[in-house]
Amino acid sequence: MSRRNYLIKRVVQALFSLWIIATILFFLFRMGLPDPTAALITEGLNAEQRALIRAQFGLEDPLWKQYMLFLTNALQGEFGTSFSYRAPVAEIVWERLGNTMILMVAAITLAYAIGVPLGAWLSWRRGSLADTLGIFVGLMFRSAPMFWTGMIAILIFGVSFALFPTSGMRTLPYDATGFFDKILTLDFLWHAILPVLVVALYYLGSPLLIMRNTMLEVYGEDFIEMARAKGLPERDILYKHAARNALLPVVTQLAVTIGLAAGGQVVVEVVFSWPGLGREILNAVRTSDFPLAQASFLIMAAFVITLNLLVDFLYSTLDPRVSFR
Amino acid sequence: MTLPPFLRAALAPLRLMMRDRLAVAGLCVLSLIIAMALFAPLLSPHDPRHINEVEDGSVLVQTPEGWVLGESLGAVALNDAAHFGADIGAQSLIVGREGTIWARESGHWARLDGGTVADLNAVDFSPEGTALIAGADGLILLRDGDKWTEIKAENADLRGAAWLSAGDALIVGDNEDIWRLDAETALITRINSPVGRGFSLRSVALDADGTALIVGERGLAIRFDPQSGSTALERLGSSRDLNHIHITTGGTALVTGERGTLLRRAAADAAWVTDPAPDTRALRAGYIDDTGTAIAVGRNGIIMEWDGAEWLLSPTESERHLRALLVVGEDRLALGSDRFVTRLAPPSREHWFGTDHLGRDLFSQNMHGSQIALLVGFLGAALVVLIGTNVGLVAGYFRGRTETILMRTVDIMYGIPFEPFALILVLLFQPSLMIVILAVSLLTWRTVARLIRSQVLTLRERPFVKAARVAGASDLRIMYLHIFPNVLPLVFLELAIIVGVSIIAEATLSFLGLGPPQSISWGGILHDARLSGAWRTAWWWNLPPGILIMTTVLSVFFISRSLEVVANPRLRARE
Amino acid sequence: MRMTKLLGSTILLAATTVAFGAAAQTRVAPIEIYTTTQSYDPIRYESAYIIADAWRDLGLEVEVRPMEFSTLLDRFYTEQDFDATVLGWSGRTDRLDPQFFLGTLDSRQADPGANNPGGYANADYDALFDAQSGEFNIEARRDIVHEMQDLYKGDAPMAVLFHRDEVVGYNHTTFTNLNAMAGEGLYSEWVPMEAQPLGERATLRIGGPQEPDNLNPLASTSVWGWKWMRMYYDRLVRLSPDVEPVPWAAASVDAVDEVTIDVTLREGMNFHDGKPVTAEDVAFTFNYYMGSDYSYFNAYLAPLASVEVTGDLSVRFNLTEPSAPFATITLSQIPILPKHLWEGIENPEELTPEQIPTVGSGPFVYERYDRGEYMSLRANDAHFYKENIGVDGVEFVIYADAEGVFTGLQTGQIDMTAWRMEPGQIPLAEGNENITVVSVPDFGYFHITYNTRREPFDDRAARRALTMAMDRERMVNVLLDGRGEVGGSVVAPVNAYWHNPFVERFEYDMAAARAELEAAGYSWDSDGRLQR
Repeated sequence: MSRRNYLIKRVVQALFSLWIIATILFFLFRMGLPDPTAALITEGLNAEQRALIRAQFGLEDPLWKQYMLFLTNALQGEFGTSFSYRAPVAEIVWERLGNTMILMVAAITLAYAIGVPLGAWLSWRRGSLADTLGIFVGLMFRSAPMFWTGMIAILIFGVSFALFPTSGMRTLPYDATGFFDKILTLDFLWHAILPVLVVALYYLGSPLLIMRNTMLEVYGEDFIEMARAKGLPERDILYKHAARNALLPVVTQLAVTIGLAAGGQVVVEVVFSWPGLGREILNAVRTSDFPLAQASFLIMAAFVITLNLLVDFLYSTLDPRVSFR
Repeated sequence: MTLPPFLRAALAPLRLMMRDRLAVAGLCVLSLIIAMALFAPLLSPHDPRHINEVEDGSVLVQTPEGWVLGESLGAVALNDAAHFGADIGAQSLIVGREGTIWARESGHWARLDGGTVADLNAVDFSPEGTALIAGADGLILLRDGDKWTEIKAENADLRGAAWLSAGDALIVGDNEDIWRLDAETALITRINSPVGRGFSLRSVALDADGTALIVGERGLAIRFDPQSGSTALERLGSSRDLNHIHITTGGTALVTGERGTLLRRAAADAAWVTDPAPDTRALRAGYIDDTGTAIAVGRNGIIMEWDGAEWLLSPTESERHLRALLVVGEDRLALGSDRFVTRLAPPSREHWFGTDHLGRDLFSQNMHGSQIALLVGFLGAALVVLIGTNVGLVAGYFRGRTETILMRTVDIMYGIPFEPFALILVLLFQPSLMIVILAVSLLTWRTVARLIRSQVLTLRERPFVKAARVAGASDLRIMYLHIFPNVLPLVFLELAIIVGVSIIAEATLSFLGLGPPQSISWGGILHDARLSGAWRTAWWWNLPPGILIMTTVLSVFFISRSLEVVANPRLRARE
Repeated sequence: MRMTKLLGSTILLAATTVAFGAAAQTRVAPIEIYTTTQSYDPIRYESAYIIADAWRDLGLEVEVRPMEFSTLLDRFYTEQDFDATVLGWSGRTDRLDPQFFLGTLDSRQADPGANNPGGYANADYDALFDAQSGEFNIEARRDIVHEMQDLYKGDAPMAVLFHRDEVVGYNHTTFTNLNAMAGEGLYSEWVPMEAQPLGERATLRIGGPQEPDNLNPLASTSVWGWKWMRMYYDRLVRLSPDVEPVPWAAASVDAVDEVTIDVTLREGMNFHDGKPVTAEDVAFTFNYYMGSDYSYFNAYLAPLASVEVTGDLSVRFNLTEPSAPFATITLSQIPILPKHLWEGIENPEELTPEQIPTVGSGPFVYERYDRGEYMSLRANDAHFYKENIGVDGVEFVIYADAEGVFTGLQTGQIDMTAWRMEPGQIPLAEGNENITVVSVPDFGYFHITYNTRREPFDDRAARRALTMAMDRERMVNVLLDGRGEVGGSVVAPVNAYWHNPFVERFEYDMAAARAELEAAGYSWDSDGRLQR
């Protein structure tokens, strides 16, 4: 199979997966979740009044009609109006996704920036106390649930020492017009430090261990022996030759992690009151806001699937041993 | 001894584990936690769901620094107090539940025996110093010097008592019972209540004009005139339950009741006014004098003092329920306490890890929490590995259409975020342990499937598989007898890792409140802590469960790390 | 007391043994109690378990089923598929009039989706309901309302568990004169108009975990939307903190007869865009609402037949039938919309946030709304009430949860909370020297409603007995830390004028509950299970 055909095939498969997910979600929500107007009863609305609202939401139409409408709209990138916000869903989702991604990308970058060189160094010092300690710490943060680390971080740095704010993305009120205007401030940075740190510490373990283990494997390869034979300094061998060749699994892991990051770490968003997509999607499901929930799920899925696709391509480009299947 | 190759393969990882220091440590810790889960009921000193309450004969003393908790007077609540005399020979009597009677003379306490175990609710001294005590089931006690006389009224609980003159007293209680006592003859006569609906009367006091004022539930106030023996309804301006009335000889009066009810009369001929209270919880007793001092006490350690213009809350830092006030000159005591919840208590000998906001024992909760963590951890992981391994095997072995369908399913599974998906499951069904395990396993088998598949892909091209095929072995036989043992190390490795992942996933769901109701889990404890809002101060609440999760998962990860060497022999050569 | 109970139950037990075998009886069907999840409301969740424990002692098989809130509402109201459900009604000012709460027991509201899912049906009660609704003499109406409470209470179709105090807090170093209002807490429409700044900042900052669903006066169906919008829209009448109607945009409200009400507008009022407020706008608004698909106000508008413009500043409301709550509730809830901005809009419920005309005539002017984060208003310098207003604007900071709100209050980011604090936060707030904690009694209530169509709740004696076997005092003391009150009737004690304090109380008494059951022919089998 030619490379181009392979690419096209994978993209089609990805789109097919997305369609399946969208369809499952569509019917799951409408048949399994409670009536979105149920909550209005407590506001004193009777059955007739609620039926009027359901009609506005388009929920009184036959299911297949709703489904067709949903599909045609989705194909045009149109996800409808949120039931609860009465605002276009796309707008809400993109904003929330932005908030989530800024947190996750910052944290993941930090984790890999520290984890990769540290892992390489640990492999060089394998068997030493530093190695054991490094593994221990990396695994320790990987073992602690993020919401707990977050709570403890808030307890120590937010409450006891009152060094950092403990909730939200910025001090309110504020004046900002665009997304970048919002995030390029010192205040934002101040709010982001604790959550970013907590997420980064959790992620630290995997690049660290992967790097360390791959390096150990690479040390056995012939070209390292050759370099040693040439009498190159150990430090050069480590960073110039071995590390470069050990990066592939780390990059793969990175792509997978970023792909899953769109889903965010719901618990971190909850603990730090971060207005991200993860929290929004929980709310949307809880309040049966079908359009919002569908769009959020689809965007997350699209993200993961795209990045997985990317990993596959990356592999096929970098590692000639993998054949195009 | 010869073991079948299958078993030998299964034992190999164990031997390897024993060679790794961290793995051995992990094994030890994990065994401890498993033991904790198995013996949780034995290890727990309390029922983890039981709301711990304490009854106590509490005394709060007013000092210049505020009201301070004094030494406890035993394990039963104190209900009322009265004082007689000025200087020498002055004595206070305090009565409480289960026949408790204390005498207090110039600061010294002495326990008296009234010859009863009934709950005592009220006490009053006559002008001559005869004490009258009223209690449960129509019990009336008279004490003259050392002589105790017991009188029995009808079966309703008596709640208030007051002397009208030297030999004449009034006792009131439930069912609108009003009894007039002739102390000479120790005979009681029933006075008919003007209402007659069986309401509970709570307290009675002698007014400045010689009549008695009785208060009771639903704002009931009844005036009794001893001259004519008649009763009449009075309106004090509240329909709340009134718990206590205190009137000075000068006619200043204070009535306290439910929901922070404070009714005050500034003089004998003044009108009753309703004072705004700084706290809306129940007030049980009040004290007022003619110089402008007024105190009211109530539930949850509430003490309010009148500063001449408004009522102010005095800080007490006590959860105890106060029922009575004893004021002797500058000596002021607040007495209680019926059963109160030992909320948010820091670690103590009784509660090793302290208590939560409902007074539940946290040590016991943490012990029990290990059960769900391990159950979900192992059961979930087993399920995940079972699904993942089989999908991986089938996909990798058969390839073609089967593989495409299976691996696209895996792709789809990757596209579904964990927490919202679990929420949908909970909404579709009911929150339960099954749902938690299902959510955990449905969304983690994807990784295992992928890993196993790629391993199988390389294995199926190996000579021994080809040989088996040539020998005419069936597909099933090749898959499970020839290929499977070779992926077993990887399976073990994944199993170990996924146990850790599942434990964290369970904790996450419980933390988000999606766990099974009324179950106790580590994540659930943290959920409660956050929900209550008290976690910022109650470190004993949120520290232990997190540490337990971390140690459990960490020990599993240590074990899995040693298995990695099995799965990847290239690493072994270099360790 | 204890002794009598013990004695009582021993006798009962003996009686039971005798009764056993006399007639073939069947066990009472198992009961499921539906309640909220712990995360949604820990109080209702725990209450259900307290009830279940006591009912099990009575010999019933009881199971508690916590559910996500929307599922719970669906089951309870729409499907009416439940045995007993623990839920609540919030106390909004317009519910201080007893009409609404009394209506929840009206048998004509027992259809699926309506407010009486328990299906309590009492013809006498329904007749009295109609009588009080049309009664204009307030004392006569009160007598009827009291009678209704007495009437339903003995039948125990549901139990009011408790009224929970709204415990809110404010920072007394930044603002003063914040007066809490029953049912509204601090976030009432009056607080921003009455608050006086103490420091340099004159902008009142409110914080809360809830935010409006949207700020479209023809689409918002949440109280949080209207709590915000009512600050920049005027109404003809506002309800005072003592819940008396105060003429607001109306200079006068006169009842010409029982079905005709004349309203004269205040002179010199302008919308925020400078256009004057006229009778045309008022008439337009009411007609616009009546003609729209927006159903939120339908109950208020039901008695209204037509609105006529009778002058530049005067309108006449013609009612179809006498309605006691019209002048207080309806006129105080409907905002005045500018005709010139709305008349061209055909499908107002479909407006996107940018398209909504946020122009009103109220004491504050809309500035901005950033979803999920922040809303702000500035004071309207041209408003007739301006002299009384001490703040120069109002800001609302939206937090993710009560935790965030509390931190905001502690750190001085906000001046007051819009929503109640969690029990665990209250002592911390009380310990903070800048914060004043206010407990506001609620006239909404939490209840357990029985499905009177199902066994065993179709039997009055069983309902009465089960209501007695419910330690509500303990719920208040343990779960609410004493901050609340055991419920009497659907009209709360704090609603003193309408509340009947002499209704039957159903105090916690297991012996009495057993006696009630036995008198009605129930007995217990050898396993201690209740049978009939």
